[in-house]
Amino acid sequence: MKRIPVFAATGVACALVLSACGSDTSSTEDPESNEPVTVQLLTHDSFALSEDVIADFEASSGITLELVSGGDAGSMVAGAILAAGAPTADVMFGVDNTLVTRTLNEGVFEPYTSPESAALRPELADQTFEGRVTPIDFGDVCINIDDTWFAADGVAAPTTLEDLANPTYKDLLVVQDPGTSSPGLAFLLSTVSRYGDAWPDYWQRLRDNGVKVSGSWSDAYYGDFTFGGGGDRPIVVSYATSPPAEIVYAEGEPPARPSTSVMTDGCYRQIEYAGILAGTDQPAAAQQVIDWLLSPEVQADIPLNMFVFPARQDIPLPPVFTEFAAQVDSAEQLPAEFVAENVGDLLTEWGSVMGR
Amino acid sequence: MPAAFLVVFLGVPLASLAAQIVSPDTISYFTDPLPWRVAGLATGQALLSTALALLLGLPMANILTRYRFPGRRWALALATVPFVLPTVVVALAFRALLGASLGSGLAIVVLAHAYLNLAVVVRIVGARWATIDPRFETAARTLRADRLTAFRTVTLPALAPAIASAAAIVFVFSFTSLGIVLLLGDANTRTLESLVLRQTSVLLDFQGAAISAAIQAAVVGSVLLWAARQRSAGGTLRGDHLIRPDGFARIVVGIVVALTLLIVLAPVAALVWSSLRSSSGWTLSWWSSVFGAQTIDAGSTRIGSPLAAMGRSLAYALLTGIVAAIVGGMAAVSVLSGRIGRAFALATALPLGISAATLGLGTLLAYGREPLDLRATGMLVPMAHALIAVPLVVAVATPTLRAADSRLVMVAASLGARPSRAWWTGYGPTLRTVMVAAGGLACAVSLGEFGAASFLARADGLTVPLVIARLLGRPGEASFGVAAVMAVILVVMTTALVAAVDKGGRRS
Repeated sequence: MKRIPVFAATGVACALVLSACGSDTSSTEDPESNEPVTVQLLTHDSFALSEDVIADFEASSGITLELVSGGDAGSMVAGAILAAGAPTADVMFGVDNTLVTRTLNEGVFEPYTSPESAALRPELADQTFEGRVTPIDFGDVCINIDDTWFAADGVAAPTTLEDLANPTYKDLLVVQDPGTSSPGLAFLLSTVSRYGDAWPDYWQRLRDNGVKVSGSWSDAYYGDFTFGGGGDRPIVVSYATSPPAEIVYAEGEPPARPSTSVMTDGCYRQIEYAGILAGTDQPAAAQQVIDWLLSPEVQADIPLNMFVFPARQDIPLPPVFTEFAAQVDSAEQLPAEFVAENVGDLLTEWGSVMGR
Repeated sequence: MPAAFLVVFLGVPLASLAAQIVSPDTISYFTDPLPWRVAGLATGQALLSTALALLLGLPMANILTRYRFPGRRWALALATVPFVLPTVVVALAFRALLGASLGSGLAIVVLAHAYLNLAVVVRIVGARWATIDPRFETAARTLRADRLTAFRTVTLPALAPAIASAAAIVFVFSFTSLGIVLLLGDANTRTLESLVLRQTSVLLDFQGAAISAAIQAAVVGSVLLWAARQRSAGGTLRGDHLIRPDGFARIVVGIVVALTLLIVLAPVAALVWSSLRSSSGWTLSWWSSVFGAQTIDAGSTRIGSPLAAMGRSLAYALLTGIVAAIVGGMAAVSVLSGRIGRAFALATALPLGISAATLGLGTLLAYGREPLDLRATGMLVPMAHALIAVPLVVAVATPTLRAADSRLVMVAASLGARPSRAWWTGYGPTLRTVMVAAGGLACAVSLGEFGAASFLARADGLTVPLVIARLLGRPGEASFGVAAVMAVILVVMTTALVAAVDKGGRRS
């Protein structure tokens, strides 16, 4: 009675089975043979390197690097925690200092200290959590200013967190919801680090001063910020490296200088780590990948691909970085354990202060 | 077969996830008032969104699927466009058009949801409406019923299950909405989906997320159960006739078509405008960087080739359309065969209530590691998309199939036809019509889907929505300009693909 659907069903079932089997044989390599070893590198969706840097590594090491995406940084970490012990890849890159504590508690990583880590910047060298993760890059979440707007307005741009609550700058600031946006959370943590237990008062003052809250970085930067799009807010939470990105991704001839700048007070430092996922069946090749991520080649390739700073101290920065990126000496930072324990309460408290 | 598909791509992933998360402690999280409050807020918002989508979508469904006019097929395909636009893009366009007057909050969220879901109403109700023979209404009117009475007594009862089906789907989409709520909403427009996202990826509170996800699934399940119980009153209408409008009807058709185009195309026009602007005026740079030699991010793994992403998205969409039409079609057919069939059809609707994050994480745990790592096959994304599309196919097909004339089967059988032949005589033509409509919608789902793909796509296997999201994730006017170009391309791809599916279906 239902012959036709059944035929179709059989066909599709066959197709599914065939494609699954066909690929199974091609993707499982025998690590003992001379076949090239494949290492799966789990990254978040902001990861990028130059293709020739990857190709050089594959040629010299005999390792085939397979990049697998885990969604945004938070989703990737959630996936890694759920799969702890039987991982979905061999190496993970991109867990940051707001999330790293949970991965350590859940045994996501296998300890490894790369010989290359001798070249780490001194302030990062001791942030490896007993060698379980390796710092690869860092960046600062900072207030960005539309200089053109302030020049036209004739008002001096704000220079401190305190200024942002000043009525001179009423209705000019847009931030991101810390519950849904990573820079938004970093900015909240920056205020917690600066004001301690009095941070809710600071946010109450920001609220009274007309702060706007957006759902995501792109919405704030392209929707509300006066520079990015048609917005009406000349102060936005973004990154210390947004001005150089503005130059690199300009139309045609790059402009002589960016039209935005960075307020260096109240920046929050984000450190990104890589680690070997516990349970990998190729620990040796995974170690090689960690060494490579910390090698001068990759470290020098990082700034213009991911717009963050290399973790090594001996890497010259590209000119667009030395000229226009803010080099923040005293970024705010909270201990990773404090963040892990309190982030839920902080978000709840923030929500009640902001009426969200 | 559809049951096997469900078990493999839904049951196993959810079980893998539950095995990691659920413990005896989980139950204590039920007393947390937060998810319940969010569920209440989301219900109100979704009811409003559904009402507005029906108000706008029903006249469109009527005109676009029943009247003959030049360019009808293209207008119908265009009406599908809002459904596939990435929510980030829709949110930016809505803010550009309405942000000044509405700000953020309930009003603009409801408008955006109604806009995104127009296609659901047009496709589901339209598929049923197209099979109602207009001569029935004509007959009623020759019996001196006025236009409204004829509609109310003849057409509406026949349409009711389709309208219920469409309303249920729109409600579910609005109730589980994520991107629009994050970007346009405020404290009073949160959804459980946004709560799940925060609980999984910011708080890493998996127990709480499991509770929120369970509440969401329960609400969605009840709504779909309600829709599945709606029965057709006018069951014997059948036919596939387009009406040639004349006189007054001509004007009405003209007005509705013009309004459809205006509503659908206003945000698209804003996109086209963005794709042609830079800080120094009009420019073609963004377009030439997509199609020309100087690809944006040349030599970097970040975006890859936009053209390759387009090809990949199209291939995934076609595969999704085929798999979803077959699985969903069989599920819809099994509704006709008794209680077990109906229970099964309801099970196919489950993916609607399960958040993309949940589905993505579950699939990753089940098929993203040894001993069974299927990511390299490139099959996980289209299979996840098919899973999401199947409930839509069922929603399109069931109300119409129910109304198909089962007596024809008996007549054919009594004339000596083999059972399969008799069955096909009764249901075949209707089945073909609805499967085409449903397949087109499934293709559109795949083209626009972001959440599951972001978990399951390989870093070098991005789809167009993923490329757009990556571009919008960094500063620089080139990023924004090229993202606008890719969004315009997504609109064109959707329109062309859906129109082609419609056309191919009609010819076969």
